[in-house]
Amino acid sequence: MNRKHIGGVLLALAVATAGAASAQQNGLVIGGTTYTKWLWGNQRVNGSVYNFTTVPGEGYGDTGQGSEVELLLSARLSKEVEVKGRLHSRFNQNFWTNFGGFGGRNPALEDPPAGGCTGGDCGEFDPRSNQYVKLRGVTVTLTPGYNWIDSATIGANDFGQFDPFVIGRFRYIDRDNASGLLFQGSGADRKFTWDATRISLPRLFAGPGFSTGKFHAADAAYGFQTKFTPSSKFDFGFIANYNNDIEVDARDRNIDNGRDIRTRFRNTVIGGKFGFHPSSKVDIAGAIYHSSSASADDLAPANFFGLSGFSPVPVGKHDDESWKLDAAFNDPFDNGFSVNVQVFDIGAEYVALMAARRESDVLLTEGHDATYAFPGPDNASFGVFSGNPSRIGIGGWNGNMQQVATINVDNEFSDFDEPAAETVIGWKGVTVAPTLSLGGLDLAAEISLIDYNTNWQAFGDPSRNVTSTVYPVHELDTGVGHNFRSAYAPFQDKETKIGVIRAKYLVDVGKGVDVFGKIKFIDETDKRLNDSRFLPYQAGSCPGGGRACADNKRFYSPGNSTADIYGNPPVITVNGVTGYQWKPFDSLSDDDRDLNYKLLQIGAGYQLTDDLYASLTLERYDTTLEDGNTAFQAYQLHELASGDHTQNKISLKARYILAGAEIGFEYQYNKGTFDPDFGGGFVPQVATEQISIDHNVPVGSRGFSGRFGGWNSLEKRDFSQQRVKAFMKVQF
Amino acid sequence: MRNVWWKAAMATLALATAAPALAGDVSFKDPTGDDNGPGTYVYPTDTVYKKGSFDLTGLDVKVKGDKVEFSVGTNVALDDPWRMGGGFSVQMVFIFIDTDGVEGSGNTDGLPGLNLAFSPKSAWERVVIISPQPSSRVKSEVETKAGAMKDSIVVPARTKASGRNLLATVDMKDLGTGDPSQWGYQVVMQSNEGFPASTDLLTRKVNEYEGQHRFGGGNDGDCDPNAVDILAGDAKGDPGEVEIQHAMLKYECAPDGMAKQKATLSMVHAK
Repeated sequence: MNRKHIGGVLLALAVATAGAASAQQNGLVIGGTTYTKWLWGNQRVNGSVYNFTTVPGEGYGDTGQGSEVELLLSARLSKEVEVKGRLHSRFNQNFWTNFGGFGGRNPALEDPPAGGCTGGDCGEFDPRSNQYVKLRGVTVTLTPGYNWIDSATIGANDFGQFDPFVIGRFRYIDRDNASGLLFQGSGADRKFTWDATRISLPRLFAGPGFSTGKFHAADAAYGFQTKFTPSSKFDFGFIANYNNDIEVDARDRNIDNGRDIRTRFRNTVIGGKFGFHPSSKVDIAGAIYHSSSASADDLAPANFFGLSGFSPVPVGKHDDESWKLDAAFNDPFDNGFSVNVQVFDIGAEYVALMAARRESDVLLTEGHDATYAFPGPDNASFGVFSGNPSRIGIGGWNGNMQQVATINVDNEFSDFDEPAAETVIGWKGVTVAPTLSLGGLDLAAEISLIDYNTNWQAFGDPSRNVTSTVYPVHELDTGVGHNFRSAYAPFQDKETKIGVIRAKYLVDVGKGVDVFGKIKFIDETDKRLNDSRFLPYQAGSCPGGGRACADNKRFYSPGNSTADIYGNPPVITVNGVTGYQWKPFDSLSDDDRDLNYKLLQIGAGYQLTDDLYASLTLERYDTTLEDGNTAFQAYQLHELASGDHTQNKISLKARYILAGAEIGFEYQYNKGTFDPDFGGGFVPQVATEQISIDHNVPVGSRGFSGRFGGWNSLEKRDFSQQRVKAFMKVQF
Repeated sequence: MRNVWWKAAMATLALATAAPALAGDVSFKDPTGDDNGPGTYVYPTDTVYKKGSFDLTGLDVKVKGDKVEFSVGTNVALDDPWRMGGGFSVQMVFIFIDTDGVEGSGNTDGLPGLNLAFSPKSAWERVVIISPQPSSRVKSEVETKAGAMKDSIVVPARTKASGRNLLATVDMKDLGTGDPSQWGYQVVMQSNEGFPASTDLLTRKVNEYEGQHRFGGGNDGDCDPNAVDILAGDAKGDPGEVEIQHAMLKYECAPDGMAKQKATLSMVHAK
C-alpha cells in the first residue's frame, strides 16, 4: 500500500467531508490539519518544497523542510444552509530555513531586476515564501427542500461529480480551486438524477496557450448531466458541456451602448453512457463522447511556431469522438478467476477543456511507468541545452501512470511518491486484464495492444508546414517513456504493446509477510516519418567524403519541406577527421523508434509493531531503445536517448500511525546507466571547457552538437541519486 | 476444439481451487439492489462511488486452522481509486458477531458513527472491521473513539479486495471460543471516510441530501443509522429480506436531531 497517497486522499476528502462532519451540528466548527514535509536528495536543489514543476517562475527541489497548516471551517446555520471554507498555507518556498519568512530580496526595489523569486530568496517580499495563508474552498450549500431541486452549491468545488472525460478533477496544489454554481436534483425516487453547473473558467490554464485572454471574468464552463437507473440491471447517463472563452471586441468603438464580445475559444462535449448488469458475474459498460472546439485565430494563437507549442488544447477547429466499452466477468467459475476487457478509442482531436487533468484513470491499462516521464535519460526536458537539469530526478515518480483524456495533463507541484498522469489522446486499442485469487496469493495480469489515431504524416495535413501546426507538441514523444502530456508529433507511425504480471502473496510467518512483485514489458515501435516524399532533401544532396551538402530541398507540398526541421549538417573537422557534424536525414529509418522495456519488481512488507509498517522494494529497469539517430536529434530539442538504459531502484518505506498523527517515510536509491548508441554517419566532437561547464561533461569527452546547438554526450553515463521524503500529518 | 481445452482448463482450475466446506464454515446471502439503508438512502455523487459499491451480497465465514476468513460480497467489481493499496478504497464493513447467543450478554450499542443499536437478543461480543485504511490507523481510531469497546473490536492485520469480495483473516482466538457456524452475524456496509467526524469511527455520514462525499436520503441529525446495507431475515438473499432490512433500519428523530427511536438490528443465523 502506498501510504503516502492516503494523506492526499485525506486532503481530498477534507473539504467535502468537513462539511459532513459538521453538518449535523449547529454553530461554527473548526478543524484542521498540519502537514510537515522533509525532503532530502543528492541533487541538492532547493527551489521549493516540491519535487516537480514545469511552471515558469516556480521552483522545484529535492531538499528542504517545510510545514503547512489548514483550518477547516464549517457551520450548519439551518436545515437549509451550510457554509464551509478553509484557510490554508502552502509549502511553496516556505522552507524552515527561511526562519519565519523575514527579510530577503525585494524585487520591487531591484534596479536592474534580479529575476524571479525561487528557493525562498525573496523572504518576506514574496507571498510564496512569507508563509501567507490563503482563503480557499469557500462554499455555501443550500438545501431548500423544494421538489424540483435537492441542493445548490455555490463556490469552490472539485467537480468530481461529473465525468473525467468531460468535466473532471484538476488539482493544482489544491483540489477545489475552481469555483462555480452546482445545482443537483432528482426524481422518480431518485432513479433519475441531474446535475447542472456553471464553472468559472480557470484563467490559469483553461484556454489556448494556457490562457483565457484579457477578458476573463465572464468566461465559463457550463455542464449538465443526468443519470437514470430504471432497474438494478440497467443504468444510463448523458452529459453535456459547453466552454466559452470570450473577449471584448476591439472593433466595437461605440462603447456608449456597452461593448460587444467575441469568442476566443469554445468547446462543446456531449456524451452518453450505459451500464448493463445482467448478473453478479457480468458487467457491461460503455461510454461515447463527441467534442467540438474552435478558436479565433486573432485572439488565440493561430498555430504553434516550430515544434515547441504548449497549450491545453489544439487551436483551430476540431471535431472528434472518444469511446470505450468495458466488460467485466467477475469470478465466473467461482474459483477466484476474473477478467476485465476494455476496448477504447480516444480521438486525436478529442478536446475536452475541463476533462480531468490528474487523479483520474480513464483506461483499464496501467500504461507507462512514471519512472521515465520526460525525454532525457534522467528525465530532463530540453536537457540538450544548458540550464535544464532533471527536475524530478532519474527515478521519476513511483509506480505507473494514471491515464487522462486530455493533453492538459498536470503533474505540477508533486513529489516523487505521488501518482502521476499521462495523456491518452489518440490512443485506441484493447486491454485484457485477468486476475486470480488463490488463498493468500493474488495474481493479476494485463495485455494491452495500443494503436494511435495520431499516426499521421505532417500532422495529418501535408498542405501545411510542419513548423506551423495547430497541435501543441509539448515535450514531444522521445525518450524511454511516454512524455506525460505529449500526444502529437509531426510524424508518427506507432504501436505499443504492454504486458504486465503482478503477484502478491501473504507468507504466514509472524504477523504475516506481504511479498509482492511485478514483471512488465513494453514493446513500442514508431516509424515516425514513413513516406519518402517527406524526406527533407533530394537523394544525394549530401555526397559524403568531406564534401558539403547541397541545398536540394524536397517539398512535400508547395513551399513546404521538412528541411525546415531536419536541416543538413555542416562539414567539420575534429582531430583531423572531416565529415558531417550530424548524419544527414536521408533515410526513412533515421528517426525510427524501437523500445524494448522491461521492469522487474520484488518487495516485501511487514507490520513491525501495531503502529509501524515497513516495506522494501527492489526494481530493475532494463531498456534497449532505438530513438532515432543524429539526423533526428530528438527534434533537436531534447537529449537523444538511443542506447541502453538500466536503472535499479531501491525503496524503503515506512508508516507510523498514532492517534491523530500519521508519519510516512520513503528513502530511495536510484542507480542507473545510459550507454548511448547514436549510430554513425557523423564526426564526433569533443567537449571544450565551455561545453564542460554548460553541460556537466568532462573536457575532451565525445559528443555532438545539433542544429540548435546544445550537446549530446556520447559517453556512458552513470547515475546515482538518493532521495527521501518524510512527512507528518496531524489532524486536530 | 480450442473452446473445449479452455473449458477443461478452467474446470481443472476450479477443482484445484475449490475448498471443501468445513465444520465452522457458514454463508449468508443478501439481495441485490437494497443498498438504500432503510429504503431511502442514496449514494454520494462523486464518481468514485460506483453503482453497487455498497450493495452487500453476502458473507462467507471459513475456518482455516486457527484462522477465520471473512469474505464480504459486494455488487461491484472492486477498485482502488484512492490507491489505498488493498484493492479497494470506498467501502468499509463491520461484521458484528454474537458468539454466545445469550440474550443480554454483550454489547447492544453499535460502534461510534453507525448510529444504531442491537436488540438484547442479538447483543454482540466481537466486531471485525474491514477497512482499506492501514490497520494501525483503524486501531488508533478505535483507541480514541471506541476505547470502551476496544477489547471487542478485531482489526485484521490486512484486508484486501478480490473481484467483488472484501477479504480479511483473523485469528480464531481473537473471536472467542465455539463453533463459528453457530454464531450470530450481522454485517453493516459503510463507507471508508478518511476524515471522519471527531466521534465517528472512520464512517461516512448520511444526510438528508446526498453530497459529493456524503450519503443522502437520511437526516442531517445524528438519528439516522449510517448503514447502507445489512443482512436480514434468513439471509438467503430472498427479495422479502429487503423489507425486513428496511424495518430494522427504521428510525425516528427527535427535534434536536438525536434519535427518538434508534435503528435496532438483529443477528442472522445459519439455518
